[in-house]
Amino acid sequence: MSAESASAIPKGQVDLLDFVDWSGVECLNQSGSHTIFNALKQGYREDEGLNLVSDADEQLLIYIPFNQVIKLHSIVIKGPEEEGPKTVKLFSNKEHMGFSNVNDYPPSDTVVLSEDNLKGKPVILKYVKFQNVRSVTIFIEDNQLDGETTKVEKIVLYGTTVETTDMKGLKKIEDH
Amino acid sequence: MICIDNSEWMRNGDYPSNRLEAQSDACKFICCAKTQSNPKNAVGILTMAGKGVRVLVTPTSRLRKMLAFMDGLNIGGEVNLAAGFQVAQLALKHRQNQKQQQRIILFAGSPVKQDKEVLEMIGRKLKKHNVDLDVVSFGEEDEGKAEKLEALVAAVNNSDNSRIIHIPPGARDLSDVLFSSPLFAGNGFAEAITAATVAAKAWPDYDFGVDFNLDPDLALALRASMEEEKARQEATAKKAAEEAAKHEKGEAQSTSQYVIMTENFSARRSKTENKAADQMDDNDLLQQPIAMSMDVSSSSIATRDMEADFEALELSVQDRCDRMLADQSFVSSFLAKLTRLPGVDPNNTTVKDYLASMRGQPEQKGENKEQQEDKKL
Repeated sequence: MSAESASAIPKGQVDLLDFVDWSGVECLNQSGSHTIFNALKQGYREDEGLNLVSDADEQLLIYIPFNQVIKLHSIVIKGPEEEGPKTVKLFSNKEHMGFSNVNDYPPSDTVVLSEDNLKGKPVILKYVKFQNVRSVTIFIEDNQLDGETTKVEKIVLYGTTVETTDMKGLKKIEDH
Repeated sequence: MICIDNSEWMRNGDYPSNRLEAQSDACKFICCAKTQSNPKNAVGILTMAGKGVRVLVTPTSRLRKMLAFMDGLNIGGEVNLAAGFQVAQLALKHRQNQKQQQRIILFAGSPVKQDKEVLEMIGRKLKKHNVDLDVVSFGEEDEGKAEKLEALVAAVNNSDNSRIIHIPPGARDLSDVLFSSPLFAGNGFAEAITAATVAAKAWPDYDFGVDFNLDPDLALALRASMEEEKARQEATAKKAAEEAAKHEKGEAQSTSQYVIMTENFSARRSKTENKAADQMDDNDLLQQPIAMSMDVSSSSIATRDMEADFEALELSVQDRCDRMLADQSFVSSFLAKLTRLPGVDPNNTTVKDYLASMRGQPEQKGENKEQQEDKKL
């Protein structure tokens, strides 16, 4: 598969970036100078020099809430060949998770990233498990070479929105 | 989450009353500061020694509840740091407001038994879970305790949000030291405490026999006048130094007494330079304070300008000295003050000689001799 088609958006799906509730995004064990926004935000994530880097050890826990209900179809996680993430567990609608309770719940899906995936090939998730998603928690368990630091260059979520009303988008109608 | 050390080591009385009492006071102080700085802040307390780690209060924002549990702490056993941290972390994990930043404040008064590596591991774990750590190290100081705790804090530290303070045994309260420490400076707690408390805590040396807490205005007024007086005294002292130097120049007297005096005045600014003061000739002695004031006031001016300024300043100082000497009332009041200064012995022969020579001057000019005599005696 060529690079262009690998990074192409899956058919019928959209980039869910516009629906992320930025005030609620959290990342545990991120390095102070290399935060989650380097991997998630538009513009920053395209820059290969800006990474999300783990701090105390190789694990990372990323919590991404959305401002409306979505269906998650696939995910792209880009990273360097050696320090890129390997085992990634995804949880839907689990709030306030910590490293101590990642094993308390069964993950909605577990992905082992290949070299192709790290270069930008989307990973198709178990679509049925991500039908009514308000938030997604991404737990990066280890990296390719079992090193102490994990680097993530880019995270993109593809999916569709569920036909609901975005309550935050509602404006009060002023009386005349 | 505050971790209190209630091990047997806390019976020691090297802090006011005993270590546990001092700790408990400091703890109350922290609780008050935290709740006042933001009403949503929640504080929990646990003890690390005794039969096991015991959580006294789970994180709560009710000050009364925290304070109620602080009294009647039991002393016993030895501290179990690892278990303490685990329990504290668990308590923090189940906090009510999940958006709040987690922080552990550790009081460590007993020796640390764990290895440095173990502590660093604990530290990394805390950091991974996004928990900040403040360590208050006091009491026992053996077996590289400071080093171990520093390593622990260094392992947790992430963009300077974890701190350590060492409090050596001494007369002052734990809470006093805590107040002026970065533990409180960083998070805006200081503003939460009223100005009155600040005055009372930060300047414990000024004892006017008045409770500042009862009357903050009075405290402020007293402090202002105190500082004014201090500034005035310093100015007088400086003038005196200059004048003394000037006189020596003219009269070529024995210098020892005045060199000591000048040294005292300028010691505040620089100790090293003064070592050479004895060997300096009088002219240098005069220039030294001027040079110092130059350094302070105009460090940014270029060197060339400085030299020009220096000459101008020297001239003006000399001019002023001359004028001051001409003013008899000033000279007499200065002499009267001189004899009252703590370091000056009025019976010293040098001083007597000098006073006599001063007395001689007005005689020559034939002015106000009677008054001068009265003032001097």
